[in-house]
Amino acid sequence: MAREECKALLDGLNKTTACYHHLVLTVGGSADSQNLRQELQKTRQKAQELAVSACARLTAVLRDRSLAADERAEFERLWVAFSGCLDLLEADMRRALELGAAFPLHAPRRPLVRTGVAGASSGVAARALSTRSLRLEAEGDFDVADLRELEREVLQVGEMIDNMEMKVNVPRWTVQARQAAGAELLSTVSAGPSSVVSLQERGGGCDPRKALAAILFGAVLLAAVALAVCVAKLS
Amino acid sequence: MAAGPAPPPGRPRAQMPHLRKMERVVVSMQDPDQGVKMRSQRLLVTVIPHAVTGSDVVQWLAQKFCVSEEEALHLGTVLVQHGYIYPLRDPRSLMLRPDETPYRFQTPYFWTSTLWPAAELDYAIYLAKKNIRKRGTLVDYEKDCYDQLHKKINHAWDLVLMQAREQLRAAKQRRKGDRLVIACQEQTYWLVNRPPPGAPNVLEQGPGRGSCAASRVLMTKSADFYKREIEYFRKALGRTRVKSSVCLEAYLSFCGQRGPHDPLVSGCLPSNPWISDNDAYWVMNAPTVAAPTKLRVERWGFSFRELLEDPMGRAHFMDFLGKEFSGENLSFWEACEELRYGTQAQVPTLVDAVYEQFLAPGAARWVNIDSRTMEQTLERLRQPHRYVLDDAQLHIYMLMKKDSYPRFLKSDMYKGLLAEAGIPLETKRRVFPFTWRPRHSSPSPALLPTPVEPTAACGPGGGDGVA
Repeated sequence: MAREECKALLDGLNKTTACYHHLVLTVGGSADSQNLRQELQKTRQKAQELAVSACARLTAVLRDRSLAADERAEFERLWVAFSGCLDLLEADMRRALELGAAFPLHAPRRPLVRTGVAGASSGVAARALSTRSLRLEAEGDFDVADLRELEREVLQVGEMIDNMEMKVNVPRWTVQARQAAGAELLSTVSAGPSSVVSLQERGGGCDPRKALAAILFGAVLLAAVALAVCVAKLS
Repeated sequence: MAAGPAPPPGRPRAQMPHLRKMERVVVSMQDPDQGVKMRSQRLLVTVIPHAVTGSDVVQWLAQKFCVSEEEALHLGTVLVQHGYIYPLRDPRSLMLRPDETPYRFQTPYFWTSTLWPAAELDYAIYLAKKNIRKRGTLVDYEKDCYDQLHKKINHAWDLVLMQAREQLRAAKQRRKGDRLVIACQEQTYWLVNRPPPGAPNVLEQGPGRGSCAASRVLMTKSADFYKREIEYFRKALGRTRVKSSVCLEAYLSFCGQRGPHDPLVSGCLPSNPWISDNDAYWVMNAPTVAAPTKLRVERWGFSFRELLEDPMGRAHFMDFLGKEFSGENLSFWEACEELRYGTQAQVPTLVDAVYEQFLAPGAARWVNIDSRTMEQTLERLRQPHRYVLDDAQLHIYMLMKKDSYPRFLKSDMYKGLLAEAGIPLETKRRVFPFTWRPRHSSPSPALLPTPVEPTAACGPGGGDGVA
């Protein structure tokens, strides 16, 4: 059905935008590399594909006059979420362009900022592209050509947003959120291990680690007691 | 980052210069040979590199800029307050301690920026993420902000929650050390951009500031871009320039000349009406008053413009010119002013009147303008508008300024006026202590407060005068 299809496309775009945001955070820092730039490129191209198809579907549905009122409200809600997501993507792309130009990798004008982030981000990019793992090898001067392409793509996305606003007119104030404040606490999808990552750097111990240590200690203690009993019995 | 509020029309958003300077300092700290010494931070099992101590930062700043330790500490504190360096142990207190406290550098995406101001949507996503992570235990002001945002951007709330969940899932793909660092970076960013109540907001700009040129990143520079650059630089070359030595000398002499005349700097006699509730000062300095004060008459000698702008000065100057039989110059000038600032409907009649009275050959009060200006003016009078007499007016103005004005200043009339003009006396101090009013009651805010006045009986009004 049209609604499920649009929802799926929107979810995919949302996921890719979040991963792209996460990758752009590290541009200019110590984790910046040609591989990162290539991952950024692949992620944003996937995001743009999803955006174009979502845009086409939603525009087609919303321009259809013969739509029931409640269905229309539903699609308008999806539309508002979609345009917000696209705005976020465009802003992140602009930011990536600015940061990429300020911190060129091929002929570095200035050293990268040592931020403490050192690991690889291939996991994030793999999640964005919905693959299991990602192995990229970018050439030494990948970022130079990439920046020019990025500039073009930023303009393209800007044009897409303008076209969207021209074709479909959804006033933002008519859309009401379905979820109340604090609704995210009810879902347990993201609760769990991530909530244990606390921001206090003094004691960073996780409960599973402590539990494991306790179990090991208990096992060693039992073994020691058993040995002592055997020794006592033998002697 | 979502697009923030649009900048006021006509002024593109730009990065403030002090932020650009701070960015340069932070980047120079990253130099592998000459930068700040980096250490590693050890947390139970994870080791996170690139930590610096407060004392290292202060020493590096003192060495690089050749300043004292105190100033280096202040510089470092400014960097921390703007979020370029953040503390690791106590993330909420943004100050630099010159000891072993560890700090780390902020990633360029989260650098404080007026070019990319923090948007409400992003703050909402951050708060939603924090809500999920901490299972609903947000700090008070964050809870208030959350509720406010829920009302303000209600239409985008679905997007906020979707993005918050996805960003958390994306972050889980990184290893633990990186996750911690990124979370700290984001927290610092929002502490700087949405400070808790009571903390100073470093991004507050005064009204009407920040008119720096904006520059967008352009990778492909087209011919249009270069044409615009050439035009811009050509105009810049053509601008008149004055050496700062000349400017500053003129500024100093201006301040020296005007110092005694400024009521804030030198006090006003008889007394400051705002403090003593006695409006004699305003009455004595009204625009048309029979006996102008000495200071006012002195001001007429500063420049011709001062003389003309003061109604009493203009009247006396007119008398003087009458004695010299050149009063028509000033009358012509006044008529031109009336034309320039009068109503549009009056323009044709006024122009005719001026022509009849001052410019026609054989007129009653013919003004002496040089032939070229006269010809041009007469040409232009065929299509009268309010600025048609500008050239002639300027000519007459310069004539009066160079010729009549110096003679006025040397004349007996002016000297007589100076001698007659009196300095008003200060209001006398009352006999009874509890009715004393503070004397010279507009102390200069530039001077340090001197506890001279008896404030016991003066009450809050007098207390302000001394404080």
